[in-house]
Amino acid sequence: MRLPLADQLRDVVGAVPTPARDPDVPRVEGGSDRLADALGGEWQEARGRRYLVVDRTYAAGYRHGREAIMDGMPPPEGIWPGLHLLCGGDLLPSENSRLQAVCASEDPRPHVRRSQRLLFVDLETTGVAGGAGTYAFLVGCGWFEAATFRIRQFFLSSYGAEPALLEGVTQLAEEATAIVTFNGKSFDLPLIETRYLFYRMATPFLELPHVDMLHPARRLWRAENDRTGGALGSCRLSVLERSLCGVVRDGDLDGFEIPSRYFTYVRTGDPRTLEAVFEHNRLDLVSLALVTARAAQLIEAGPEAARTAPEALGLGRIYERAGLVNDACACYTRVPRLSGDVVTRAEALRAYAVICRRARRYADAALAWQAILDLKRSPPRLAREATEALAIHHEHRVRDLLAARRFALESLGFHGTPSRQDDVRHRLARLDRKLARTAAGPSTPLLPGV
Amino acid sequence: MLPEWLLRKREGEQPPAASSAARTDPARDHALTTVLDRLTGGALERRDLPDGWVTAIRRLPARGAEHAAFLDAIDERLRAVLEARGIHRLYTHQAEAITHALAGRHVVITTPTASGKTLCYNAPILNTILRDPSTRALYVFPTKALAQDQLAELHEMADELARRSGVDVGAFTYDGDTPQDARRAIRGRAHAVLSNPDMIHSGILPHHPRWAKLFENLRFVVIDELHAYRGVFGSHLTNVLRRLQRICRHYGSSPTFICSSATIANPRELAEALIEQPFELVGQSGAPRGEKVFLFVNPPVVNHQLGIRRSYLAETRRIASEFLKRQLQLIVFAQSRLATEILTTYLKDDFDSAPGSADRIRGYRGGYLPQRRREIEKGLREGSVRAVVSTNALELGIDVGALDVCVMAGYPGTIAATWQRAGRAGRRTTRSAAVLVATSAPLDQFVVRNPSYFFDASPEHALINPDNLHILVGHVKCAAFELPFTTTEAYGRHDVQEVLGVLAESGFVHRSAPDEGSEGLWQWTSESYPADAVSLRSISSDNFVVIDTTNGADVIGETSFTSGPSTLHEKAIYILEGQLYQVERLDVDGRKAYVRHIDCDYYTDAITYTKVTVLEAFADEPPKSRGEVHVSSRVVGFKKIKFYTNENVGSGELDLPEQEMHTTAYWLTVPRGIMASLPYAPDDRRDGVVGLSFAMRQVAQLLLMCDRHDIGISIGGGELGEEVDPARGALEPARLSDEPRIFIYDNYPGGIGFSEPLWAMHDDLLARTRDLIAGCECEHGCPTCVGPIGDTGPLAKLVALRILDRLDGIKRT
Repeated sequence: MRLPLADQLRDVVGAVPTPARDPDVPRVEGGSDRLADALGGEWQEARGRRYLVVDRTYAAGYRHGREAIMDGMPPPEGIWPGLHLLCGGDLLPSENSRLQAVCASEDPRPHVRRSQRLLFVDLETTGVAGGAGTYAFLVGCGWFEAATFRIRQFFLSSYGAEPALLEGVTQLAEEATAIVTFNGKSFDLPLIETRYLFYRMATPFLELPHVDMLHPARRLWRAENDRTGGALGSCRLSVLERSLCGVVRDGDLDGFEIPSRYFTYVRTGDPRTLEAVFEHNRLDLVSLALVTARAAQLIEAGPEAARTAPEALGLGRIYERAGLVNDACACYTRVPRLSGDVVTRAEALRAYAVICRRARRYADAALAWQAILDLKRSPPRLAREATEALAIHHEHRVRDLLAARRFALESLGFHGTPSRQDDVRHRLARLDRKLARTAAGPSTPLLPGV
Repeated sequence: MLPEWLLRKREGEQPPAASSAARTDPARDHALTTVLDRLTGGALERRDLPDGWVTAIRRLPARGAEHAAFLDAIDERLRAVLEARGIHRLYTHQAEAITHALAGRHVVITTPTASGKTLCYNAPILNTILRDPSTRALYVFPTKALAQDQLAELHEMADELARRSGVDVGAFTYDGDTPQDARRAIRGRAHAVLSNPDMIHSGILPHHPRWAKLFENLRFVVIDELHAYRGVFGSHLTNVLRRLQRICRHYGSSPTFICSSATIANPRELAEALIEQPFELVGQSGAPRGEKVFLFVNPPVVNHQLGIRRSYLAETRRIASEFLKRQLQLIVFAQSRLATEILTTYLKDDFDSAPGSADRIRGYRGGYLPQRRREIEKGLREGSVRAVVSTNALELGIDVGALDVCVMAGYPGTIAATWQRAGRAGRRTTRSAAVLVATSAPLDQFVVRNPSYFFDASPEHALINPDNLHILVGHVKCAAFELPFTTTEAYGRHDVQEVLGVLAESGFVHRSAPDEGSEGLWQWTSESYPADAVSLRSISSDNFVVIDTTNGADVIGETSFTSGPSTLHEKAIYILEGQLYQVERLDVDGRKAYVRHIDCDYYTDAITYTKVTVLEAFADEPPKSRGEVHVSSRVVGFKKIKFYTNENVGSGELDLPEQEMHTTAYWLTVPRGIMASLPYAPDDRRDGVVGLSFAMRQVAQLLLMCDRHDIGISIGGGELGEEVDPARGALEPARLSDEPRIFIYDNYPGGIGFSEPLWAMHDDLLARTRDLIAGCECEHGCPTCVGPIGDTGPLAKLVALRILDRLDGIKRT
């Protein structure tokens, strides 16, 4: 016989009937007080709906690995004046000028507050798929205030309370003059902005300058990250907090578990598994604040502050992007003194050579290119670039055609792309023509196969 | 036997015109008349000759234009743009459609090709944008190529508007090819977004908050080529539109739908089924039309015993050459990519061999690069390309101008598609011609031998079943992801609250309790992105992938789970873009088929044993019934069928796992009395029933406007589910009950809605099946009627006709 609709549906969905899962029972008893107690929070009410807010204050002496909160404290203006330099080239010009204004404490609305406030933001979400069905169930915000670091977490205890919660986030965001995230440009900010749009509410983040620490951190510490076990070329906050702050998290949960813990709470009302999620979010915020502080302090302290060769190279790149060429050169020339590995040293020489060439200091550039070739086990791609640059240099500046020809021949030995190889062959042919014209032609025959 | 026109004297033949540029319309009319005279033997009057070479001639008279004045509601600025484009008056159908749309009434327009259809939707939309620049419109086209084509037209109008009145109208396509960095700008700035159902389903609706500006201000939704949305695709589209309308309600908009369709029997019904709102129909074209002569050609039989006809491709070549010789511009439609390439080669051999004359003949099909396609389209419009051979790629509204002649190599499968292809030839003032050349396939033979079926009967019904649970459930997930359902909300025909309850059991959603006076909500509680799991072009996303191992391992195609075993069994021939591949291994659990390139002259047809069990009869009026059935099928072997002649040239046995599904079916019960009264041996009676089912399948396909694999057929006994019989053609003689039943079931889990119309068309189905069998020229059965003689017995044709006669007798008494 024909099956009842529910059974046909189970056939299609592949679901096993679970009569115990009646949606209204069995919720964990004790209700809202129990939830607030378990998570150490307080109820907030807006638009007739309640959501939970968890507040924590970290005192100046609170230790996060080797670092303490006081080590990361910004100056009394509330912001590091050099913070905007971290984002050189990452931001649109309009956003960059807003951020510069904030960093210079030239807020157009001075009556609103006495000092600047950076708001560190990190979301815990129901997934990474994006779209209208992915939402933030925990909005974590942190800021420095009166020699402490404060964290406020907005928790979506019931789905219907989302607009109320977003209103609470707006109120806090309106106190801020800039926000800081880790990978927030592509994840956190678009996601929460979508939630505001969903409810036809104005997003408070649109006008705020946004420092996404992922990119500067990657420039500064990618080598560090690679060495300490991060995926190659990636740059995860958990790896940075370990290498920069010496934090080792005890029993921290994996990111992928987070959505399912929230769904369990939704279905059962049991908040016990959520405490670890809240703690994870708080630790991320503290790490983000201290990593940001470290980068901002470094850029203000100048080239001499870099502790390692990769850090000096990264700092040089950041200065260069921010247009501070002298500081960049200082960083690059500091690299050899910090005895870095050969790749870091070669990269620094290349960066230095390019700056010299741009400044028409051709002799200095040639010295740097030559230094790359003098390094033992220089990376082939950089060595090839150096030989090409030296061939050009000798052909057009020094007019030493034999030396130019020697470098061109050398660069053929590296495997470049076919079009690069063609360029080199053209150069060789031209050099040979020029040499023949000077009647002091080379005694060696032309390159075989040319 | 030679066709009549070859036997005629060659005198009186006109020399070809010296240059096409110097040609005038009367000259072209004369050339066309000359060729048609040669083809028909000189008499162009209406006639039906089922056994002739030309089986039908119809003259469709010229029609003058019917104009309406410009509507007062049309803005002066838009009117100026239209006048600049030479549009000084509207045709009546345009005025009617624009009036409905501007008044906010949903409207469906069915008018022929080149009747100014796009103005019916562009005019009201541009007009409304002029009055209120916040207005937004969404255009839905079944393919990306069509959206591109329409964008060009819309841009021309928008540029003209900007030039004349400084009004900026943004129109953009939004599909899988749109660059990421352009998407944000389009979301904010586009007045008109041109997209396709797949992109709306997976790229726009799930991200609706980012499209808030569009949805808040959405005043119009255009759905072009409405007839393309039938069967599975249409059932999916209905659900996509349900989700769209749900989101519009969330943003407080309620758009007006403007749909256009080719001629189908039920345009208004289809529009109302797809959009689930009442529609106005504009069905009378006011555009002028020149006279059109329509011919049906049936290649002569060369082997009466086997019912084999001369190659329809060779016949098409000869006919096309006649037109080409007289400088007439034509389009040739072929059924497959392979046939397209063959015909292109033939015609190039005949006409492009002279140096310097290259590229007058072009092929056109999916798989050609866009740039090449644009070049061919332009060549056709400008006249430098004299003939194009195309698959159905040119059937939909791509602009190639109006040609003189359309030759169809094979029946396109539906009345609607045939008219649409024929419409590719035809100018507004001069005469044009369309020629249909039949293949030996049963459908083709039926159509050319029964011209009134095509010319006089109404076109097909397009059918959809959006509430098929297999389709519905995926979209309920998408809808729940997009906007939480309330605990009182309705969606579709089923109780969506019950659907959500079952989804909650699997953790997709959670019903949050109503609190503090507000409604309860079904909150989406899954990390997944459900639109990714729903493909609009098939029932389930559980597909077999086809891997070519000729050079390495490339994925070259996909096949649905249900049709996997019958098309991808070992030694099956898999055809892709005219290339033949042989399946070397089928990994059923891994859903993979490994194939290798092969050259051969046959294809394979699986032999499937199917058992149908009735679960519940929804309607039972013997001999016709319909209801829900359980189908279990197993592929037990295959036949090798030679191309073109359809000869059976070999077979093999297979052992594949059984497949099961619930679906809906129509069935015919042959009463015990009739079976008992047949004066034939049991085996012959069985052959008769098998032959009858073979023919019924062809006719059902014709009536349902569906593809061959959309329906399945099975013969069952009088007892519920007791008998197992082969679907068609028997490998081993099966016992036939004394009250056999012929099932025609929807070949999709859950059914796609064919059984109800078949039940309603029962009398027509049997009458046309009788016409098909009785009208066939073969002696004892052939692939055109009751099946190849090797598969069915010698008396199949006779017995099948007897059964039909007696069924008819019952009806009369």
